[in-house]
Amino acid sequence: MTTTADIEDMIARMAMGDRAAFEGLYNATSAKLFGVCLRVLGNRAEAEDALQEAFVKIWRNADRYRVNGLSPMTWLITVTRNHSVDRVRARKSKQGAGLDEAAEIADSKPGPEALAMASSDRVRIVDCMGQLDPDKAGAVRRAYLEGETYQELADHYDVPLNTVRTWLRRSLLKLRECLSHDG
Amino acid sequence: MTDDIDKDEERALTAEYILGLLTDDERTAYEEVLAIDPDLRSEYAFFADRMVALTDDIAPVTPPAGLFGAIKADLFGTPKSDRATSKARSWLERLGLFPAMAGGVVAAVAVLWAVNLYVPGAPTGDGPAISAPTLQAQIAAEDDSLIVMASYDATAQTLVLDRTAGTARDGRSLELWLIADDNPPVSLGVLPDTQAGTIAVDPALVPALPGGVLAITDEPQGGSPTGGPTGDVLAAGPLTQT
Repeated sequence: MTTTADIEDMIARMAMGDRAAFEGLYNATSAKLFGVCLRVLGNRAEAEDALQEAFVKIWRNADRYRVNGLSPMTWLITVTRNHSVDRVRARKSKQGAGLDEAAEIADSKPGPEALAMASSDRVRIVDCMGQLDPDKAGAVRRAYLEGETYQELADHYDVPLNTVRTWLRRSLLKLRECLSHDG
Repeated sequence: MTDDIDKDEERALTAEYILGLLTDDERTAYEEVLAIDPDLRSEYAFFADRMVALTDDIAPVTPPAGLFGAIKADLFGTPKSDRATSKARSWLERLGLFPAMAGGVVAAVAVLWAVNLYVPGAPTGDGPAISAPTLQAQIAAEDDSLIVMASYDATAQTLVLDRTAGTARDGRSLELWLIADDNPPVSLGVLPDTQAGTIAVDPALVPALPGGVLAITDEPQGGSPTGGPTGDVLAAGPLTQT
């Protein structure tokens, strides 16, 4: 079993140019990160390209990982998720607005495959999301997992953009407040 | 009171930053503060570490087998920014050729530098001649036992070839292939027996030339009977614009 400390160690060695560590990291994390690409992009070919580009970024930025204060899996998933979101948005702006295919991808239920690296305080977000209105929690998920923008959320919920921004910010503050109470 | 508002604003901005909801200007401003403010960094790390748990229920999916090879080629392969070439590499790796090619490219850089005069139609120094970029490749074996210089003549739609080393084995032919993107090699034809010669390029293949790789295989006399390479890959080189 690969532990958080193992991953941290591999990233540290990658920062010094250790290619074997990079391969170890790839073997330990690529399936999870590919799952993230597939979830965001909903398209296998694009997800493969995104994963390839994300790992290039991960190698190149390994030396800067230390300073950001994130846990190693958070950093890896964030790099991958952000890169996939950039791709989704580039695709949408190329195709023109109004596409809503990604919405058809159903949220999967928590499964036994949840990463062993997940810690209890992270799992707490599930409780806290459950305390939001279903619409608000849905909007947070759409933004995080599908890369939706305020404009797309406004279109989806059929409310003005400023309104959606106001209520989403309020929901995010509520979520943040809930997270700071120890679960 | 003011502090609370600031705190809320900081938290809301952090959440919006993590979700990617800020405008470009807002994001840049946020990152500038993030770089210098340890409190904001710990707020960011706190929220990002928890938000990422939204991906916990995403099932892992094993990526295709060749992907790590493509990543390594992107990062550690010969310096080629062209993505098509890195994809072509996965084919070369499947052919067991990539290491040979990597050595070949290093040699090619030195050789091309020395033999620039080879480029057909290159300005000879008389007046301000301007020529369109020319595609050329040095298709070389690792040990230089076979070297073919290839240059694409766009007007005639032919590859102009100059075999400076090596010949086909007795009763065998040398066949030239184009490898573009992640596609299987496409035959461009059997190399002429003469040292210098030309091979016409199917117009449909022309768009695939830039960033492609040319390879030469050992085939039965007259060329591969199957449409794909059957013999050893003897030499390869990327097509580059000059």
